[in-house]
Amino acid sequence: MTLAALLVQLAGIWVWIGVAVAVVFLTIGVGRIDEDARGAYVFRPLVAPGVILIWPIVLWRWWLLETGRDAWPLRHRPQRRFHGRAWMVMAVAVPLIFIAAMLARQSQSDLTAPVLLSPPQEVSE
Amino acid sequence: MSVKYIPVQWNPNKWVYDAIMVVAVALFLWIFIFIAPDVLNHNRAINPQIRNARAFGACAFFMLTIILMIGPLARLDTRFLPLLYNRRHFGVMAFFIALTHAFFVLDWYFSFTPINTYEALLSSNTSVTRLRGFPFEWLGLFALLVMGVMALTSHDFWLKFLTPRVWKALHFLVYPAYAALVGHVALGVLQDAQSPVMIASFGAAAGVVVLLHVAVALKERGGGGDAAAEAGEPGWEQVCQADDVREGFGHIGILASGERVAVFRQDGKLSAISNACAHQNGPLGEGRIIDCLVTCPWHGFQYDVTTGRSPAPFTEKVPTYDLKLVDGAVFVRSEANPPGTYVEPVPA
Ligand code: FES
Repeated sequence: MTLAALLVQLAGIWVWIGVAVAVVFLTIGVGRIDEDARGAYVFRPLVAPGVILIWPIVLWRWWLLETGRDAWPLRHRPQRRFHGRAWMVMAVAVPLIFIAAMLARQSQSDLTAPVLLSPPQEVSE
Repeated sequence: MSVKYIPVQWNPNKWVYDAIMVVAVALFLWIFIFIAPDVLNHNRAINPQIRNARAFGACAFFMLTIILMIGPLARLDTRFLPLLYNRRHFGVMAFFIALTHAFFVLDWYFSFTPINTYEALLSSNTSVTRLRGFPFEWLGLFALLVMGVMALTSHDFWLKFLTPRVWKALHFLVYPAYAALVGHVALGVLQDAQSPVMIASFGAAAGVVVLLHVAVALKERGGGGDAAAEAGEPGWEQVCQADDVREGFGHIGILASGERVAVFRQDGKLSAISNACAHQNGPLGEGRIIDCLVTCPWHGFQYDVTTGRSPAPFTEKVPTYDLKLVDGAVFVRSEANPPGTYVEPVPA
């Protein structure tokens, strides 16, 4: 099996597990851990695709909330510094990518002029 | 704000926002597809499928560019705050435009293969070690995935469920995604485009995004509030002078732990709450007291300054801080109270 085929198959498996998690979480789980979700049903199909995409995170958060392990102070402590640092890296990476790509461009005049091929001559005996 | 979750929150302001956005997108696509083919001067004649793919791709790129500009613009000048207000709809729309681009591409370049279309996409070019001819499709796929995760987790339910911290950590992926997108465009379509307009506009767009963010990072280095000083009794920190806090407004202090406290004056009395809004951790201390409630400058969530609670029927809560005055200096207890704890305001 090629790597590409394997990746496609893994993506398929990921989605199917996600569907299973979404069904259980959105019917039973969500009302247990979020009072705002009780009695609210129309929004659930809307969040289902998100559950399918990031189901491991959903399971982890669900477990934290169910078992009372969620640390409330963290909710109010944003990671403020990260933005600045990330953009210092981006400030180097983005121009570098762009300029390198522009330098890699080939000029049209460098290319060998196209030749119109003629079909092979029939060999007549 | 949440009471019971509903699928999409719209109000007159958001309708206007969305309407302008849809018109702008339609205009962009129309110009790209019908008006500008000659101006844009695609090097070799392209067929309608490719033109559609490029139009939607370019549209998604510029949408994401604008989305990334909104944050720093609002930090630099509060007049841009209204753009921030409904950025989520902007992001969701950008994702669907990008998805349309992807389908146009798959439908044209990869639809005639004997193997699975997606397999063909992943295996048609694997020369990762070269710059010229790099598989730029992979970069686009990565950016699309990230945009998908962000769009599909944009409902307020996700913020509360994941907590702003985790939700934002997921959203930080948009930075590598944007870098990948620049690579996707530069190593993809721009390798072929002869029109300097195309090259210049993509390059300039990415450059502006970077410059704006760097400007904000430099401006906010260590700033955004006053560092608190530990003084007097242990467990208490001085955040500011009582005179620093204007009636109806907040003042932000940074505690030794790095946490930010917003001190407010209402009816001549001082109260302190966490500076981080329960919604997306917006800076409450930069908000105002409107109708006796602290109003977040980002999306307008409101809190009672004495309890940190949103007015019923809403259920959001932020932590409060015990506060005392010593010779006109405002001290708060370093440990926050659990969200929603009432603290008697202090006359000052
Ligand atoms: S962060 Fe959204 S309302 Fe405060």
